[in-house]
Order: sequence, then structure tokens, then C-alpha cells
Amino acid sequence: MTAAPRPMRAAVVITYVVAAAAAVLGAYLIWALSSFIVPAFVGGLLAYICRPLVARLERYRIPRGVAVGLLLLVCGVVALVGLNSIRAAIPSETAVLELRVRALYALHLRYHALMGLDPSSNRGNGLYRLTHRDLDPLMDRMSEVLALTSDERALFVASQERRADAAAAARSSRLLDYERANVHALEMRARQTGRAEPATKTAGGPTSTSAPPSVAKSEPVALGNILSTWMIAPLIFLFLLWDTGSLKRGLLRPIPNRLFEPALAVLYDVDQALGNYVRGIFLECCSLGLTVMVFIAIVGVPVRWAIAIGIFTGASNVIPYMGFFAALLSGLAYALLAENIHPLIPLVNGDTFAIWVVAAVALAELLKNAVYEPFVLGGAVKLHPLVIVIGVVGGATLFGPAGMFLAIPTITIVRVLVASSARHLKAYGLI
Amino acid sequence: MNLTLQGLKKILLSPRAHIDAADIGAIRARALFQAPESAGTKRGQSLVEFLAHVSLFEDLGRRDLARLARIVHEREYGDGEYICEEARPGAALFVVRRGVVEVVRRRAGDDEVPLALLEPPASFEESAVIGPETPRWFSVRARGPVSLLALGKSDLEALSVDFPVMANKVLLRLAGLMAARLRMLLDAEFLGEPDERAGGKP
Repeated sequence: MTAAPRPMRAAVVITYVVAAAAAVLGAYLIWALSSFIVPAFVGGLLAYICRPLVARLERYRIPRGVAVGLLLLVCGVVALVGLNSIRAAIPSETAVLELRVRALYALHLRYHALMGLDPSSNRGNGLYRLTHRDLDPLMDRMSEVLALTSDERALFVASQERRADAAAAARSSRLLDYERANVHALEMRARQTGRAEPATKTAGGPTSTSAPPSVAKSEPVALGNILSTWMIAPLIFLFLLWDTGSLKRGLLRPIPNRLFEPALAVLYDVDQALGNYVRGIFLECCSLGLTVMVFIAIVGVPVRWAIAIGIFTGASNVIPYMGFFAALLSGLAYALLAENIHPLIPLVNGDTFAIWVVAAVALAELLKNAVYEPFVLGGAVKLHPLVIVIGVVGGATLFGPAGMFLAIPTITIVRVLVASSARHLKAYGLI
Repeated sequence: MNLTLQGLKKILLSPRAHIDAADIGAIRARALFQAPESAGTKRGQSLVEFLAHVSLFEDLGRRDLARLARIVHEREYGDGEYICEEARPGAALFVVRRGVVEVVRRRAGDDEVPLALLEPPASFEESAVIGPETPRWFSVRARGPVSLLALGKSDLEALSVDFPVMANKVLLRLAGLMAARLRMLLDAEFLGEPDERAGGKP
């Protein structure tokens, strides 16, 4: 075998060095611009979903510019309505205090009922004896998070005493009873554990609802940062929808002639895989969200909250295994706080409500695994569960929530890119 | 335009003097590639105007042609450079825009038999965009500097989804063209028609 001529070897070395430098630069840019990844991805995803709509409008002789403008307008209106609904659903400072009081009261009540605790909280059933060493510290930690500070308590009591009408006054009286019971339970627990003070946060602590002045001052700045970061989403959306092929042509133009057909074939495979993934995951998220919504509405969650939990579950399902946990946590949170339930099946009552919610979510998850994934997602994401877990955890470690969100599509694309490149380069006799 | 067999034969089987027919198979195969005599790319002709002359796209209106012009890839090849090679799969159909390309087929001794010369606006490798991935039975290389237009399988599929009426027109032309070619090949094989045409002088 003869050695390669010196200039050829130099060219190969230079090629490898340039490729390595480009890879390092690419990785650095991804790292540095990680805050833009999610908005860019969302903009791209929306553009991908909206492309057939633009084409449909074009078929009706509507100019592409007008079609894109119309879609942008619709997306803007939907985003504004969504933001407005979210803003309206965000509870006020007093409502948050009320929720915390109710949650802590319900938590203690259900824990006592489940563990068969006596009024002194010293003795319980077999389950308590088996698990109290692990569960008691967890309960203490949750109590610490939910309990009101002295300032918050003063604010809460003042707000409850201002209620004028009879119904509101009765509700306030009940909430004040809850708060007194909470204080009593915390003091008792403090005596049991030998602490001088009950496990409550200090005023202005990390989870306090009253923000310190510096935080309050920086809120507009943070909002400005978020807006400037998310400005990229409509720009990407516009750019991708406006493009009629120049992006792909520009990508293929510098490709050498002998690699042109393999590159076209690889792009075709990647486009197919991405399309299958986007369509599949979109349908799966919608199906799971709808199923969870229907099931938990049947067991007694009001329709308004069932819709909210369904949307939250569907959106979380983009991250593998997260949809189930989102549904479970939000369903149980509702079950913990619920005072009145209206089940469509007679077997459900206040004591078994949480179990029915868990059963409903588990059934929805079963349906997802047995029906939606094989039939809707099909072979779009044929990844080993270990790869999925490592990808999601790795993505979260490197890029935070954006990494979790993008791990699976990235792995899917990279896998198709590598497999398709190898297959086509071999078929074309290039490797 | 009506695609009659006689009309297509007239277009596709016009004899050309500058091909050395190495064997009878090559002469028969020439029928599959021959370009219309009249077609040529005038200097300064826009891409849309050029596409209007390509028989595959003759049924498309001005708006569709403009849409197509935004999709096709323009490629430049140097003299002797292979555009596509025998025994490799195809991923795009090509249209000759400028220059001349030569269709060849390798024989047992590894020498190449010239089958046809294609000039603008001839197209080749149409089957790559419609059928399953099958290896080519011929190669195409540039004779002198050549400018080609390529339409990928993915491009045609995207057209089918987004603009089905337009894609349907192209696919109908393509189907008609391929059916006519198949019939001509069968004629050549069983009736000896192209042999008579070839008549010793291609």
C-alpha cells in the first residue's frame, strides 16, 4: 500500500481540524444560546405545523404573504387569550394564603386518617409504624413549605375578617378554623420532636408570597428579558413559513456534486422522521390530555379543572414519562384540596376520591401505552427506554428545562441522520 | 398537450448523427432518452420560462412554474463529471438546462457504451422520484460544462402534500412519458421498429 502524497495528507488533516473546530464552535454556540433554544424550537414547531395551512390558503389563491400574516395574527390572538386566561387563573396573594391553609389542613387530616393516628399523634396503625420514620420528616418538610409565617398569618386573618356577606363570612370562619387547627398541629409536632418553635418559615423566606423590594423591582427587568428572549419565536415562525425552499436549496448548494444525491436522500429521511415525530407526539399529547380530562371529570373533578389538568398533562407529555406524573400530581393536588366533588359514578365519595383519581390517571396511562403509542406514534420514536432516560436527564443537566424538552427530538434526528448517512453513503459507494 | 404514441415517437426517436452506436442494445436504449430537437436554452431565459419548455412541466400554469422554480436545485457539473452512476440508487430527476450530457452503460469489459446525448430541456432519472429505491442501469456524465436542474423525491412529495393538483399534473405527464417509453422499448424489442430507424446509421 502506498502512502498518500504529502499535500493530500495535509488537506485531510486541515479538513479534520476545520471540522473539529466547527463542532466545538457549534457546541459553544448551542451552550451560549441555550436560552433561545426553546423559543426557537417552539417557533419552528409552530411553523412546521402551520405549513400545510399556508399551502392550503395558497391553493385558494391567497398570496403567501397574506396567508402567513393571517396565521401569525391567529397565533398571536390565541397566545394573548391564553396568557390572559393564565393571568386570570393566577390566584391573588390572599387566595394563595387561603390555598396554603386549606392544603395544610387537608394534608394533616388525610395523613391522620390514612395512618390511623390518635389525637396526640403518637400512635397509629401498622402502616404508620412501618413508614413513619420516612414519612414524618417528609410531612414536616411539606408543613414547613405550606405553613404561614407570622406576617402572612396576620395578613390572612385581616383579609378573612373583612368579608361582608354571610356566605363569605361562613367560608372565612371555616378557613380561620383550619388555620387554628394547623397552628395547633404544628405546635404539637414541635413538642413531639423537641423543637422550641413550630416548623414554619421565617418572614421573607424563599417561598414567602410577599416579595422583597429588590425582587419586586427586578420583576419588570425579568419580564423584559423573557419577552426579548421569546421575540425570536415569531421571527423564526415568520422566517420558516415565508421560506418556499430557499433554505433547503441554500443548505444543498455548497454540497459537492458527488454528495448531492446522498444529501437529498438523507434530508428526505430526516424530514420524514421529524414529520412523523411531530405529528405523532402532537396527536399523542392531545389524546392523552383528552383522556385524562374525561376520566378525571367522570370521577368527580369539575370540568373547568379537568380541562386545565388535561392541558397540563398533554403539554407535559412532550417530555417522556412526564405526562403521567403531571396528571398524577395535579390530580392528587386537586383531590387533596377538593371540598365538594360531583362524580358521575356513584361509587366515588370524599374518602376514596384520591384513589379514584389515581385509578383514572393510571387507566389513561395504560391507554397511552397500549393504544396511543403503538397506533399514533408508531415507529416515529423507536428508542430504548434507557436511552430516553439518559437523554432526558442529560439534556436537563446540560440545558435545564430546554434540554428535557428537546432531548428526544434531538436524539431522534441525530439517530436518523447517522443511520441514513451511513446507509446512503454506502449505497452510493462513498464509504 | 395530448400525449399520443406517434407524437412522442416523433419527439423522442429523432435520429442523431453524432452518436456512435456500439451495439443494437444501445440504439434501442437511445429511444428512451432522446431530447426534442427544437428545445434549447436561450441566453437570458429565466428559469420559469425555461421550465415551461420542459415536457414534464408543460401542463403547469405560470404560477405553478414560479412555485416549481423556487423548489428545484441548480447544479453545475464540469466536463467528464458523473451526474449519476450506474448501480447506484437515485434520489432526484434531472433536467438539462445548459450543455450536453451523455448517457452511457457499462459493459462486461468495463468499457462504456454511449446510449444517448441529451440537450436542453431533456430530462432523465424520472423513475427516481416515483418508484422505490432501485439501482440505475445507466450512468450520465457531463460533456463539457453543464448546468442541470434537480427535483428531489422529497420535493415532489412535499408538492403532493401542499399542492396536489400541481403535483398531479407533473405525475400524470411523468406516467404518460414512462408508459410511452416502455411501449417504445417493447416495440423496439419485439417489432424491430427502432432497428429499422437505426438502419445502420444512427
